[in-house]
Amino acid sequence: MIASVSKWMAGGARRSVAAAALAAALAGGCASGDTGAAEVWDPIETPNRFIFSFNRAIDVMAIRPITVLYRDWVPEPAQKSVRNVLDNLGEPVTAINEVFQGDPSRAATTMARFLVNSTIGVAGLFDVATSLGLTRTKEDAGKTIGMWAGKGVEPENGGFYLMLPLAGPSNARDATGLMIDYAIDPFQILPIAFNWDWFYYSAPRYGLTVIDYRSRTMFALDDLEKNSVDYYAALRSAYTQNRAELIRAKREKTDTKGELERRDNLALVK
Amino acid sequence: MVPLLASRRVVLGLVGGGAAALAATSAAAADPAAQLIERTSAEVIQIIKGTTPGPARQAAMQKVLQSNFDLAYMGQTALGANWNKADQQQHARFLKAVESAEARAYSERFGQYGGQTVTVGKVTSRPNGVFIVDSRINQSNGQPIKLEWEVRDVGRGLRITDVKVEGVSMVMTRRSDFNSYIQNNGGTVEPLIKELESRAGR
Repeated sequence: MIASVSKWMAGGARRSVAAAALAAALAGGCASGDTGAAEVWDPIETPNRFIFSFNRAIDVMAIRPITVLYRDWVPEPAQKSVRNVLDNLGEPVTAINEVFQGDPSRAATTMARFLVNSTIGVAGLFDVATSLGLTRTKEDAGKTIGMWAGKGVEPENGGFYLMLPLAGPSNARDATGLMIDYAIDPFQILPIAFNWDWFYYSAPRYGLTVIDYRSRTMFALDDLEKNSVDYYAALRSAYTQNRAELIRAKREKTDTKGELERRDNLALVK
Repeated sequence: MVPLLASRRVVLGLVGGGAAALAATSAAAADPAAQLIERTSAEVIQIIKGTTPGPARQAAMQKVLQSNFDLAYMGQTALGANWNKADQQQHARFLKAVESAEARAYSERFGQYGGQTVTVGKVTSRPNGVFIVDSRINQSNGQPIKLEWEVRDVGRGLRITDVKVEGVSMVMTRRSDFNSYIQNNGGTVEPLIKELESRAGR
């Protein structure tokens, strides 16, 4: 999903972080006509719905059936390892975003995780870092933009809603973030710089990302589809609310002491 | 990569309330709003343990919904501005259809009992008389799921009026869903009610 999108905009996106930043500024600019949580701003609903039905067709025909097989037939430890490897490849992007979110110490922890898991954890197959007390975070540029967007911009407002072909629901903010993440990802830059064989490196990563991601969201999406009268609108609302929650949590994260207490309490429950 | 709708993926470390919450578990237990959530989740878990998906479970779920949730309030909120477009009789039909739809959704949502427990955390009292109760579902496999309950007194004692799963409010999502359906079907409530009724009959 992200695969082909990235591939498709590879040429452009790489060189145009500046353009992406501009797009973000525009998205922020549009923010004045605040959309809020109740109704998501969706000026291009018709094309979005068209892409949505295209995505669903692909999903029903290929992605979902493969994911079901993967979920039911691949042993759970193997699935776990696949997820660990993919998560590990994503750590540098998270770390870079944490720097831009003004949290270099958290970025250092993320890089420590990356180094530990890449070596002791055998190229990320095992998440050793978590058992060493280095907890995992996941950041993306969409969250970074949302975090720094003006105080008047509610996290629910990510600019216009956008259904990406194959990649699913997004909006101006998060799609911009996706391009930035792609441009700063060392594991996207390295294969190009060193001319690694796309078929052996990037293709498996994309393929597994799609399957792993789909298996994570299977339960929630099935539930949403079955219990809505307008799946498109329900997904649009749920996506917006979920992203807003993540960004709101970033904005409200203030003191380290509170953060530590939260972590202590977390340990009590497990 | 795109963190959309990642209901399984929890942002626990970062999410404010969720955890600070749990320190207060013992204190919160005395709070009537927290008690309501504890009682409701205990009832739901009991039902999942004791039944398999089907009419029996659906009926039991419906009972829990009726006695602990304010379904009329939720339904009215979900209709939003369209509520006033409908007449009394349509209101009644709408609420009845929504109730059975929700009961069915809840009873299908849980398969077999998989060792889930619910931990109730902090209760935040808001100036408008609403209580926000933080909680989470702990799963034996996988990460916990963050739940926030909105509880308010609607004249018949405390009732649950919304559930937020990972930040996604059920009532808000319904509202968007229903509103869009109404807009695309002539702008009246009737087609929506018909659709919900036909689904309930299935």
